[in-house]
Amino acid sequence: MKHIASPHAAGWLLALAVAVLLPLFVGGYLTSILLLIAIYSIVAVSLNLLYGYTGQLSLGHSAFLGIGAYAFTLICVKLHLGFWPAFFGATAISGLFGFLIGIPALKLRGPYFILVTLGFAAIVGVIILAWTGLTGGANGLAGAPRPNPIPLPWGGRLAFDSLLNMYYFTLFFLMVIVFVCRRLVYSLIGRTFVAISHNENLAESLGIDTMRKKLLSFTISATFSGVAGALFASYNTVISPDIAYYARGMDLLSYLIVGGAGTMAGPVIGTFVMMAIPEGLQIVPTLRTLINGVILLVFLIFLPTGIGGGFKTLLPRLGRSSKSGMERNGVA
Amino acid sequence: MALLEVSHLEKTFGGLTAVNDLSFTVNQGQLVSIIGPNGAGKSTLFNLLTGAYRATTGKVVFDGQDITGCKPYQSARHGIGRTFQSTTVFGNESVIDNVIIGQSLHLKTGVWGAVMRTGKARREQEKVREKAHSILDFVGLADVATRAAGGLTEEAQKRLSIAMVLATNPKLLLLDEPTGGVNLEEIGGLIELTKKIRQSGITVCLIEHKMRMVMSISDHIIVLNYGTNIAEGTAPEVANNEQVIEAYLGARRVA
Repeated sequence: MKHIASPHAAGWLLALAVAVLLPLFVGGYLTSILLLIAIYSIVAVSLNLLYGYTGQLSLGHSAFLGIGAYAFTLICVKLHLGFWPAFFGATAISGLFGFLIGIPALKLRGPYFILVTLGFAAIVGVIILAWTGLTGGANGLAGAPRPNPIPLPWGGRLAFDSLLNMYYFTLFFLMVIVFVCRRLVYSLIGRTFVAISHNENLAESLGIDTMRKKLLSFTISATFSGVAGALFASYNTVISPDIAYYARGMDLLSYLIVGGAGTMAGPVIGTFVMMAIPEGLQIVPTLRTLINGVILLVFLIFLPTGIGGGFKTLLPRLGRSSKSGMERNGVA
Repeated sequence: MALLEVSHLEKTFGGLTAVNDLSFTVNQGQLVSIIGPNGAGKSTLFNLLTGAYRATTGKVVFDGQDITGCKPYQSARHGIGRTFQSTTVFGNESVIDNVIIGQSLHLKTGVWGAVMRTGKARREQEKVREKAHSILDFVGLADVATRAAGGLTEEAQKRLSIAMVLATNPKLLLLDEPTGGVNLEEIGGLIELTKKIRQSGITVCLIEHKMRMVMSISDHIIVLNYGTNIAEGTAPEVANNEQVIEAYLGARRVA
């Protein structure tokens, strides 16, 4: 096996270096944007596992983001528990919702499944807004804590009250989730996900319990989106129903398509591009939807596989031999 | 010994009876061909045996177990493998990955093992890969293992779809027109492969229109017409059956 870094690994290292170093040179405002990009990247990556690799398109991932954020805050504020119990609790609750919604929803295929996820997101949004006793309604909830300071081995503590450290904290979770998804996709389980996305009937005729595998993918995806929700609540310390607004599900899908569904880096690239461009151009928020729509359209027409898909067809021409998914696994 | 017992199987689509009071048995180790004119209910029968369709009435017993009403993945786990009339492979995946996917139902590695890449998971992956190579050897696709499945010729894709089903370790293999859409010169190879599969101990059920192939390789032939079996027996028996000739060529004119 060659030990020369593949273009893939080099790309990831470069992106990581930029992600780590960039906030040191830009101001606090741009760092906060980068932090939001990292949070939404987590949701886009988890949506990619479900849509890009398992073929099940969900427009309802805003709900899991909201459930994660609210569950985290509620566990902290109402149950008076610390950051980590709340973090894992919120993540588990989000995953549980994914599991429970997945059971009826995944029995449906194609547009019917999409509609159920969209309906679910709309319902979660309405409940958060209407259940004022629990969620504070339109006023939102305050009091979500930052992570507890971590004692360092050489003395001193790593505290997370600074924006920069919170950004690195979020970036760490993004890296972990990308890593987990990558391992999963290129494993034998991941092959069955991909098989389902290509031809569900054929997969089932080969003895794959497609319902169970889809449910697994959906639950993992919801769990990771819950992580993003909890991180958002912890960073922002105040949450409002806006976090679970159902139209965000479509934003996330546009990030995924622009970046390239079914590619590892796609969701991160897409989220970065779609969130950074309007920010960099200082576009009025009301115009952003329009600009995002135009970008999405351009991609759907000229590069439906997204930026990641474009690279995928380009890379082999740069001298990379075509390998099977399992062989890539060995190199990673 | 009877591996598959079908009794009084019936399937209706609205007013149309596709399979009608059909009963037959397939014995262990046999190569049984199911023939009949277009629309006789052959593919419907396969869909009923594998659970893709639900029988209106009747019973299917496989290997001593009642599998009527099983879902497709369950019947595959019981040991019934099938190929489709239209060639179906995962075109974007490499040939070997297709065969690896075919072994999914025997998979033991869970999410934790996959993510942590535990020793057990790596060993299983290695085993699965080795088995995939040996299956590709068996069907004669060893030299195209890393090619994309969608780029293969029709004949090679047929072989691959058989390899994928063999990966599930079937006791009974249902082949739906394995030579359909394949060049005449290439049919011989597929017949050889079918024979080889049967020699390896797998019972084979074959739907086929090419009579020369059917007559030369079948132990037993079942003739379907209008969803029911009008004749059964060895090749010469069936070929000389009055009803079969009628079904294929029309009734003999009297006087």
